Amino acid sequence: MGDTGTEPRFLTTARDRQREMVEEYYAGLAGAGGPKKPVAYMLVGGNLTEIVRSFGYEVVFPEIVALNCAIKHVSLPNILHAESQGYGLDVCGYVKNDLGLQELGGETPFGRIPPPDLLVCSFSGCYVYVKWWEALAEKYGCPLFMLDVPYLRDATPQPEDIQYIVTQLHELIALLEKATGRAFDPAELRATLARSRRAEEGWVDYLASGRRRPSPIEAYFEAVFYMFPINVLRGTEVAADFYATVNAEVDERVRSGMYPVPDEKFRLVVEGVPPYPSYRTFWDFFRKWGAVSVAATYPKVGGLFDRGFLHDPARPFESIAEYSLGAYVNQSWPLRRTLIEEYVRDFGADAVLIHGIKSCRSFTAGQGDLRDRLIHDLGIPTLYIESDHEDPRYFAPAQIKNRMDAFFESLDRRKGTTPLPMVSG
Amino acid sequence: MTLVAGVDIGSTTAKCALIEDGRIVGKSLAPVGVELVKDAERALEQALAEARRDRGEVRVVTGTGYGRFKVTFGQFTVTEIGCHAKGAHFLFPGTRLVLDIGGQDTKAIKVDPNGEVVDFAMNDKCAAGTGRFLDVCAGALGYDVSEIGALSLGARHPVKVTNTCTVFAESEVTSYVARGKDPKDILAGLYGGIVSRSLSLMQRVGVEPEVTFTGGVSKNEGMVRTLERRLALRVNVSPLSQYVGAVGAALYGLERPTGAPA
Repeated sequence: MGDTGTEPRFLTTARDRQREMVEEYYAGLAGAGGPKKPVAYMLVGGNLTEIVRSFGYEVVFPEIVALNCAIKHVSLPNILHAESQGYGLDVCGYVKNDLGLQELGGETPFGRIPPPDLLVCSFSGCYVYVKWWEALAEKYGCPLFMLDVPYLRDATPQPEDIQYIVTQLHELIALLEKATGRAFDPAELRATLARSRRAEEGWVDYLASGRRRPSPIEAYFEAVFYMFPINVLRGTEVAADFYATVNAEVDERVRSGMYPVPDEKFRLVVEGVPPYPSYRTFWDFFRKWGAVSVAATYPKVGGLFDRGFLHDPARPFESIAEYSLGAYVNQSWPLRRTLIEEYVRDFGADAVLIHGIKSCRSFTAGQGDLRDRLIHDLGIPTLYIESDHEDPRYFAPAQIKNRMDAFFESLDRRKGTTPLPMVSG
Repeated sequence: MTLVAGVDIGSTTAKCALIEDGRIVGKSLAPVGVELVKDAERALEQALAEARRDRGEVRVVTGTGYGRFKVTFGQFTVTEIGCHAKGAHFLFPGTRLVLDIGGQDTKAIKVDPNGEVVDFAMNDKCAAGTGRFLDVCAGALGYDVSEIGALSLGARHPVKVTNTCTVFAESEVTSYVARGKDPKDILAGLYGGIVSRSLSLMQRVGVEPEVTFTGGVSKNEGMVRTLERRLALRVNVSPLSQYVGAVGAALYGLERPTGAPA
């Protein structure tokens, strides 16, 4: 059965293709299929993959490696190893997974993760991330480039901020030219950005379909799978083509009346990083109640393309700068809050569910205020629950399920449908 | 004449309430063991025995509490959050905020004028400040938990119990005992700590009178007085406060077409 709980083959075409792409990517990293490319490590938020790829680098996103470890239930040994090295309980699970994995040799069930030849810290909004990259630079002795992205305070980026980032992009290019011995090729960057743009537009179309009733997409759990190409493979032909496959499948779902949640009862906006170690258990807590996420913020951590932060081959550096400034994680809390309120309104959501992360204060701080604002000022039913994105020790299924059951019960009664659940686990 | 039952399987006790024509006609309470299905059966049978009614007369059974899925002979399940809201509203119709402190969790539940849940907050994966916490600390003082309720009322110099972890609090209580502190003052300190934790949850959903205190810990007079003092409000406590979840569950069953579950 497909991830969305539906049987027909055509409804899993995109997911099957995504799986292939993940496998091909990790096989490539492990050295299969040709001579080894130099490897650059980068962070997802506002990343500079197009520039780095145009110099022939393969890009590794340790956050994505970490979430893949967690979803495959192999993050804990890495985390425990990092803790044995002195990293505390409250240090980010992504960081501990990666540093533990690096110390243990980089082997994962999906392939060996190669060490970096270059470190590009593309998101400096999280101080723990900055220290993570410094630790890697110390371990591997490779060049470290820190991109300083000013926090986005207004909906429209300031010209000074854009120029500040553009200046740094030219510094990065100088570093890449020196490291590779290759001259920067503006035409190659523009071509890469054009492919990125095509993928971004397809991704935006996919996300917009959550407005339909019933929703033909699952904008959190399913979209998380479809984030992989837009974040990891952006700028490649396969990523651009992938979203055409996805959207053809969405059209088919609408035509055939087959939806991720067959009897859609609750439409949710979801905020926060998923509990990857218990991904399917968490998803089941939604499905059991006929709840579908119609919009979510987390799949936009790589870029808020649906809010107009698209790459533009005609303005390569400026559009990269705008994209980096506009990444979800780089937005101020008032902007994040406004975005969530707009999602609730535009996607016809009944409620908001916030999943806080124990080991990530950077993403989670402010979610309590968000909850209060939504409930007390706007009257939007909101549930806040907490576990962790990487560490399975923080996921308490009985307690989380109990809170979610109580939340959906109260939503049910507000909607006046009141079918009490039958006795079942 | 419709007889309905609510069975509340909590972390430490199983409760059952029988309701007919808007009246509680039977109830039972007993500790739970490891065989929750049997505990649930026993709770219903004991309540029926108290009411002198037969099993066949019960039209709907609704399960609630952490063990609600073990009420396998019932027709419906509802979380204890919804049930405490409904049960508290039944006993005190002016209730707007429910504080429930059970064996291993604490809940603050905001309710609307109809007894529907508006918002709730619960303690997070830690039993500090719950009934279990009081059990342990009473033991450290050499008392049974049933004996400590009114003891703190004569406290003159309440101590500060700084740690809200159950295990560490036990050590702290032992340390105060060793230093010769009056048990009344130690208990007053403990109640103050528990109420502070509870207030944090209550403030998260918004404090609004009337406040109804439910669950086993509401039987403790010292806790009730401490809560009232900190809230500067009179707090509703029913003699049936341990049964509120079961009462709410039974009332949910009444809302269904009898004998014809959805």
